[in-house]
Amino acid sequence: MSTAMNFSSKAFKPRAPDKGSFPLDHFGECKGFKETFMKCLRDNSFDNSMCRLQSKDYLQCRMDNQLMAKEPLEKLGFADLKETSPSPEDKDAKE
Amino acid sequence: MLLPCVLREFSRCSTLSMHCSRVLQQKLQPSERGLHTQAQEFIARRIGLRLKSQTRGIKNRSNKRTSQEDEWKSKNKTVLTYIAAAGVGMIGISYASVPLYRLYCQASGLGGTAVAGHDADQVATMTPVKDRVIKITFNADTHASMQWNFRPQQSEIYVVPGETALAFYRARNPTDKPVIGISTYNVVPFDAGQYFNKIQCFCFEEQRLNPKEEVDMPVFFYIDPEFDEDPRMARVDTITLSYTFFEAKEGQPLPPLPGYSYK
Repeated sequence: MSTAMNFSSKAFKPRAPDKGSFPLDHFGECKGFKETFMKCLRDNSFDNSMCRLQSKDYLQCRMDNQLMAKEPLEKLGFADLKETSPSPEDKDAKE
Repeated sequence: MLLPCVLREFSRCSTLSMHCSRVLQQKLQPSERGLHTQAQEFIARRIGLRLKSQTRGIKNRSNKRTSQEDEWKSKNKTVLTYIAAAGVGMIGISYASVPLYRLYCQASGLGGTAVAGHDADQVATMTPVKDRVIKITFNADTHASMQWNFRPQQSEIYVVPGETALAFYRARNPTDKPVIGISTYNVVPFDAGQYFNKIQCFCFEEQRLNPKEEVDMPVFFYIDPEFDEDPRMARVDTITLSYTFFEAKEGQPLPPLPGYSYK
């Protein structure tokens, strides 16, 4: 699709992700969080803004299990979720 | 004593001797004070004037010629110097432009490709544009020779620009051998693709699946908030994210290189 030789239209340029690639979760350590997130999505007719807490939990699980580089939650766009659920890790990240 | 001095002055001027002697005789006789000085003055004046008037003309004419030539010469020299300086300056600028451009790229962060506001720090500071809801549909493909079962876990998801979102794909290796796959992605419409920023995903890197293994592959992304302000995107409501998995082949075996021992 992206290699269609369109003369006038812009071609699509795939960009590398900002933080690289997720390592594969071979052992299913974060499968529970993923299931919670998927259930939330199905219940809310796939509205992402309703399920941000679950996605934050999933990413937190990944960070805890060495499946993702540890990042402060603001860098992942969860700054508004920090006020609702403070935790010692968040406080460390703030500092 | 006076007379020899005067005569000495005299001897220097050959043309004026007769006239001067007559004058001198006239002068010497009447006055008593400062005869020597008077005479000297007189002679000097007359000799000086004549000499000056005689020589000034010659020197002036040749002086004028040479001075004009000199002026031309010096003007030419200055013009040539300016031209040479400009030439050397141009060469210097063309050599200096390489590091200067590198510095400019580092400062402005363009790096050769103009990217519409793709900034890693933006994620922390962006605010969601709540009134613009975009539907993201997911598509999964595999190459013909790739035996994985690869599919998205949700058919669509509704996001707003400026909000980070998570989506999952699932891949299963039904074969009895470990298979290494590598994927690439595509975003349709192409113009919206520049606003589609992935924070983390599973593409462009080799992912290895053991036999009969099934994994969840997340994609963490957001739509740039500037999407809402682009007039070309005003009618775009659906963005499709499409992943394609290929099988990563083993490296090609090289023929034995001469002079290199394999052990």
